[in-house]
Amino acid sequence: MSLPTGTRDFTYAEDMAIIRTKTQWALFTGFLIFLFTTPLYLGNYWLGVANLIGITIIAATGLNILVGYCGQLSIGHAGFIAVGAYTAAILTNRLELPFLVGLICAGLTAGAIGLIFGIPSVRVKGFYLAITTIAAQFIIIWVINHWQVTGGFVGIKVPYASIGGFVFRTEASQFYLIMTIVVLCIFFAKNLARTKVGRAFIAIRDNDLAAQVMGINLFRYKLLAFFIGCFLAGIAGSLLAHWIGFLNAEQFSLTESILYIGMIIIGGLGTTLGPILGVTFLRLLQQVLTMEVVPFLESTVALPAGFASGVTPMLFGLVIILFLILEPRGLAHRWTLFKSSYRLWPFSY
Amino acid sequence: MKSKRLLLVAGGILLAVVVAVLPLLGACAPGEKTLKIGITTPTTGPAAEKGSPMGHANLDCVEYINAELGGVGGYPVEVVWLDNAYDAAKGVTAVKKLMDEGCLMFGTASSKIMSAVMETANRAEFPGIACFTSPVLYHPPQHIYGQLPDYGDDALAFANFYMENIWKGPGKPKFALHLLNNPTGSGARDAFRAKGEELGIEIIATEEHAPTTISEMSSLTRIKALNPDVLFISSTPAPTAVIIKNAYALGMYPGITIGCAHASFTKALIDIAGADIVEGVYGTFPTVMWGENVPAMAKMTEYCQRLHPKDYGNMDYITSWAQTLVMAEILKLALENVGYDVLAKGDVESWRAIETQGFQKLKGFDVGGLHGAVTYTPGDNRLTTYNRIYQIVNGEITNPSDWVEAPFIKYEDYDWFGQ
Repeated sequence: MSLPTGTRDFTYAEDMAIIRTKTQWALFTGFLIFLFTTPLYLGNYWLGVANLIGITIIAATGLNILVGYCGQLSIGHAGFIAVGAYTAAILTNRLELPFLVGLICAGLTAGAIGLIFGIPSVRVKGFYLAITTIAAQFIIIWVINHWQVTGGFVGIKVPYASIGGFVFRTEASQFYLIMTIVVLCIFFAKNLARTKVGRAFIAIRDNDLAAQVMGINLFRYKLLAFFIGCFLAGIAGSLLAHWIGFLNAEQFSLTESILYIGMIIIGGLGTTLGPILGVTFLRLLQQVLTMEVVPFLESTVALPAGFASGVTPMLFGLVIILFLILEPRGLAHRWTLFKSSYRLWPFSY
Repeated sequence: MKSKRLLLVAGGILLAVVVAVLPLLGACAPGEKTLKIGITTPTTGPAAEKGSPMGHANLDCVEYINAELGGVGGYPVEVVWLDNAYDAAKGVTAVKKLMDEGCLMFGTASSKIMSAVMETANRAEFPGIACFTSPVLYHPPQHIYGQLPDYGDDALAFANFYMENIWKGPGKPKFALHLLNNPTGSGARDAFRAKGEELGIEIIATEEHAPTTISEMSSLTRIKALNPDVLFISSTPAPTAVIIKNAYALGMYPGITIGCAHASFTKALIDIAGADIVEGVYGTFPTVMWGENVPAMAKMTEYCQRLHPKDYGNMDYITSWAQTLVMAEILKLALENVGYDVLAKGDVESWRAIETQGFQKLKGFDVGGLHGAVTYTPGDNRLTTYNRIYQIVNGEITNPSDWVEAPFIKYEDYDWFGQ
């Protein structure tokens, strides 16, 4: 994080800190207070939307580590989320294991499956890697539909999440659970980017040949990126499973996987803030278009038949095109420009 | 610098206005006593071809009920209608919104969305009714009800009809199944698994297809080699059209009997496949056809032609019009049994009243002849159990059979259910 003029570091700890100034601490604390008091002034519907956004942020953060930091294109992310969701469902429903065991195992299983499908990344990249990850999407969904343990086409019920006897029944309690994990995942992702591993990811993304010449083990780091990205997808899948309460494979379509790519592009690839902004923007846009705009158009405006049903995909596509043309570095870059501009205000250059 | 200051001031004023006006908007809400119901349909997204006319029918029927029947028990029916884009997560948030809005129950069009939202509704005891259903929605029965027979019932109704009216040969007829790789297909598979032996049919092949399939030549070649008597397809219109066209190209059809489940048996199937290719194909559907002489037809036709003329002729419109009539009847029964004050709360107490004093009091309710009588039977959350078998003749869906009752199958008693 860039600092205001005159701020200096006197210790290594200060140099390494993520939050550096009193203003930043105040803003961060204020944000956390705002976040965790949200259930006091939102109804179940908006809390539900917030929970969906939180879960999606975790998954998109994983994809951002894989694609944004390490440059390994994956179009099978919904499949990895499905692995996590079904692992949690099987462990907590069929084996009646605790939620936390299911959560961790969901991450580890999705990570392990990600490792398998990440192996081709050592040999192929770009569009070729994209095809192998699409294959992952289809193979995973096929297995879910045809494996007895998952409930097949019928699907599987998932109990409420619970920790130490406390059951997360209400939308508000689920909000606290999900947002706590969101904060932890973002903290993890932020720190990961500053470590040796994160720098190796960036080196591979920018030029894998040069990275290898510098001594970075491509095989190890690419697979590590797949593991971490899919681990977070698994965690998100577990939370999604407990939030929805019932799973079937149709909830994890290829369209969802592509949507995740759209989210991190709009948010800003290779930044911690990007997935947060991209997910929030697109999920809210989806909700507003689906819940407000389409019913409004259908019930009040005399439009040609079928027009309203095309509004959502049209606007959705338009937004992505506009971002790619006008702000290819995403909302995170726009936010950085905004901060830079106002940091000096009213004494600009 | 000046422009930034102006921007800040304008932003501040806008925020203040929004904060000041929002409570006023709430205060301006009409205070009329209404009975509120929720509807969510896939008006956008991949199932919009079905969801859009179904949503229209729901809203048109509410308009009819309020304008011509004086609402329900003198209270206007207020509908909160939301699109779900055929997306599970949006469906879940939509149902949460319907609960937040104090709706007394909710209706959906598709089994996919209902299966995604049913646990949310079951956990809150928020009763719901789906037009098209798969057995998983109410096995075991909780707070979700099926307006019409499910995909398994379709399969059995057709098999019954075939055995009684078409099959003349010795021994067991050989059935080949071509099933969509989702609950629409698995419902039929499970029904044959449970009752196939009892019906005296032999399942010789079960093939799956994707909703986006463009060729089923290889699967049909495998089926053809087994010499089936019947090809039963449980799918949606586009894949069904592909399968029938491929069967025609392979010379399998005509020559065997083809039966379709109701999810695909609409005008869209004929339009996509071509009338000459689907000539003679049988299909199940749980409602009457447009233009039939039943009491509710005239008003439904009038409203459809006035408000959404392009939906005229679409069988899905009939389904959702009837769904709204069933919901109105549930409101009427609950109103008579517990009074308005309980229903006005729009909370879990109202939902329990709607379920126990509305849904579960339904007995022989006639939906103006649009589909079979609506009755609740304890342990069986299907409110209608009757199907009819139609045939495509000269490019029209015609030749309706008598109503065929689908037997109750307690799927949860089978070890393999959900496996």
